[in-house]
Amino acid sequence: MSVFDERMALLKKIQQTDFVVVEWTLYTDTHPDDEDALDQWREAIKDAAAARKQYENKFGPISLKSTPSKQALEVGWRWNQAPWPWQL
Amino acid sequence: MWVYEKKLLYPVEVTTCNPMLARYIMEQYGGADGELAAALRYMNQRYTVPDKVIGLLTDISTEEFSHLEMLATMIYKLTKDASPEQLEKAGLGAHFVNHGHSLFYENAGGVPFTATYIQSKGDPIADLYEDIAAEEKARATYQWLIDISDDPGINDSLRFLRERENIHSLRFREAVEMLKDERDRKKVF
Repeated sequence: MSVFDERMALLKKIQQTDFVVVEWTLYTDTHPDDEDALDQWREAIKDAAAARKQYENKFGPISLKSTPSKQALEVGWRWNQAPWPWQL
Repeated sequence: MWVYEKKLLYPVEVTTCNPMLARYIMEQYGGADGELAAALRYMNQRYTVPDKVIGLLTDISTEEFSHLEMLATMIYKLTKDASPEQLEKAGLGAHFVNHGHSLFYENAGGVPFTATYIQSKGDPIADLYEDIAAEEKARATYQWLIDISDDPGINDSLRFLRERENIHSLRFREAVEMLKDERDRKKVF
């Protein structure tokens, strides 16, 4: 797999796991007493964080609030660096 | 406050340079029922709605900004390689002499965005009904865009956005019911 393909695959994984969080967040906004949904929402946040870490270890921060791992720091943790989302 | 995330909500893949399609998509970028209008409408209404629905307005508004970024990406990718002649043929000659290849908040007819597209009534039921209508109008616009577009990459992203309007409409309708339940309970006392 090329570096570009790997980047796109890991990015897609973040988009998928983050979307689950978005969807459960809206659902729990209007179903605040649904304990099962709240559990799934909390699980989804963990999955999304794991996917994010995988991408960020190789390709740098998705968010300024991300904490760099040792591996990520070795690669070089830079924010102001292309490609930006609309350039991919 | 907000923190930028260096990713799109959903992938945007453009098959070919197509400034005419970009122009049509501007309806959802800077038009009356577009994503900018939606994002600004909810973000502004949330200060004066009951606590129960503040989270929903905040979260949907935030999502609308990510939709706006997807549309900007579509317009950018569809026009970046277009010559002035191609832009002119697509009806973007006037856009080009004013804005070059940059984006602008305007509708498909070139009318600039205006805050008069949106309302805030200080009445939560009135505001939420406007929000439901806004989602349904946006859903309809996405359908017309899908019908007129023959770019498979763009259509995939537009279908995603159309489905999001359905979900937002559903959540707003649930929010109305939450407020009605509360109002009816108060009557019992």
